Amino acid sequence: MSTEHSRSAARLMISPSVILLLGWMIIPLSLTIYFSFQRYNLLMPDQTGFVGFENYRYFLTDPAFFSSLVNTLLLVGGVLCITIVGGVGLAVLLDQPMWGQGIVRILVIAPFFVMPTVSALVWKNMFMNPVSGLFAWMAQSVGLEPFDFLAHAPLMSIIIIVSWQWLPFATLILLTAMQSMDSERLEAAEMDGASTLSRFWFMVLPHLSRAITVVILIQTIFLLSIFAEILVTTNGGPGTASTNLTYLVYAESQLRYDVGTGSAGGVVAIILANIVAFFLMRMIGKNLDA
Amino acid sequence: MARAVTNQYKTIITVVSWTIGILIFFPILWTILTSFKTETEAITFPPSFLFFEWTTENYSTVMERSNYFRHFMNSVIISVGSTILGLIIAVPAAWSMAFVPAKRTKDILMWMLSTKMLPPVGVLIPIYLIFQKLGMLDTRTALVIVLTLINLPIIIWMLYTYFKEIPVDILEAARMDGAGLRAEILYVLTPMALPGIASTMLLNIILAWNEAFWTLTLTAAKAAPLTAFIASYSSPEGLFYAKLSAASTMAIAPILIMGWFSQKQLVRGLTFGAVK
Repeated sequence: MSTEHSRSAARLMISPSVILLLGWMIIPLSLTIYFSFQRYNLLMPDQTGFVGFENYRYFLTDPAFFSSLVNTLLLVGGVLCITIVGGVGLAVLLDQPMWGQGIVRILVIAPFFVMPTVSALVWKNMFMNPVSGLFAWMAQSVGLEPFDFLAHAPLMSIIIIVSWQWLPFATLILLTAMQSMDSERLEAAEMDGASTLSRFWFMVLPHLSRAITVVILIQTIFLLSIFAEILVTTNGGPGTASTNLTYLVYAESQLRYDVGTGSAGGVVAIILANIVAFFLMRMIGKNLDA
Repeated sequence: MARAVTNQYKTIITVVSWTIGILIFFPILWTILTSFKTETEAITFPPSFLFFEWTTENYSTVMERSNYFRHFMNSVIISVGSTILGLIIAVPAAWSMAFVPAKRTKDILMWMLSTKMLPPVGVLIPIYLIFQKLGMLDTRTALVIVLTLINLPIIIWMLYTYFKEIPVDILEAARMDGAGLRAEILYVLTPMALPGIASTMLLNIILAWNEAFWTLTLTAAKAAPLTAFIASYSSPEGLFYAKLSAASTMAIAPILIMGWFSQKQLVRGLTFGAVK
């Protein structure tokens, strides 16, 4: 089927996409790397020039870098734990026979379609606000002191908000995987006297393992770049208590106008994301063969 | 007897599932309810769920005061524009990779996917400076370009997985019957490819509508879509819960409805075909 003619036509059809993506990758990337070795502060436009690894030294030795790294890991790890455990639980539950399954599914999936700025603001004001939030009222009505979530546990609060947004995604994918499970094998195991727990542990979980891996890897890519939720709730504070790597680079370049240091931070973020991407690509590449 | 046990089991499962479902949905429900309250009622304790005086005043206030319609149109133009532009570029690419696979097709696909792994913050500074030099900061064009590029890999992948499922035999049969290339594309392939293209379009509009990194960093007042407009409520207007709720409800309603229609495609699109 593929003649010489059709092959060159195919090449012609692919090339716009390839050229655009190549440009999108190479041009900004090389500029970021270039800036990261320059003294370049928009507030001091006359001081320029090559500074070697000075920006990297400055960025990496800044105490804010270490805390942002820890915050990034806590944020990604915390959200992954909540969404995977919750998602597996919900997927198993929603796969059972029930009335109105379609409606429950719609209710559970809904948060995924809410734009990040809306969900962050709704949670911040209407739920977590220590004076007029719903949680404050619930605490008061059982005689407890209202808790100021975003002031005293900013990172935890953001983890809760982001988990609410991503739990539907994990649930949806794991539920899709559940539905491809061979129910006859499960019934056979039940006949043979396997307990609910051992059926879950030895049959359901292994069946879901591929979907769980996919969820972990894809969420990690998105969670490493969490930005809007931090911007509208805490602005990274108090101090740097809820600053992640993405927000730190943003603050460095857009708020402190230090292009050089911001770029060095950008390069660090790219390296970290690449480590994750390496595993994701291998995983999806394997599925492509299957 | 066995049947009674099944029904009891089903009832318990139903009650538990509905409770969890409503709890997860509650913040959205609460936002919608609050948008119909007066400002005083919105912060009154104990909160009332249904028995308050329903008013649509907040909606008209938001519309009047804040140029809401402009931001809404920005969102529409940016998400639909970037999706259509993306499709125009992606359809030929996905098409040729699915129907005329070469030795390196798989490598190209994987490489395209890898561009999606580039963290946006790693290229924020050059992109910002380039658009600044070109005088394109805070323009819809800039956002259409950026969103097209960041979503292009997902569009190509989704289309590729859909096109892959079109049986090639049908093409050969059409050719045997004497159909030319034009007739082949027009009468055989297009009708089979349209559903896949439509789903891709739907999912991509959702993703672009909710994108909140580039829309927040590259826009100010003029080209700001709803994501950035809502962010401006973070203070001090955020304390006006009823108005915040009305603005939020209007921002999420169209996408929520579209999203419910595209559940299946969502799984496929966001897992790059790894889970179907």
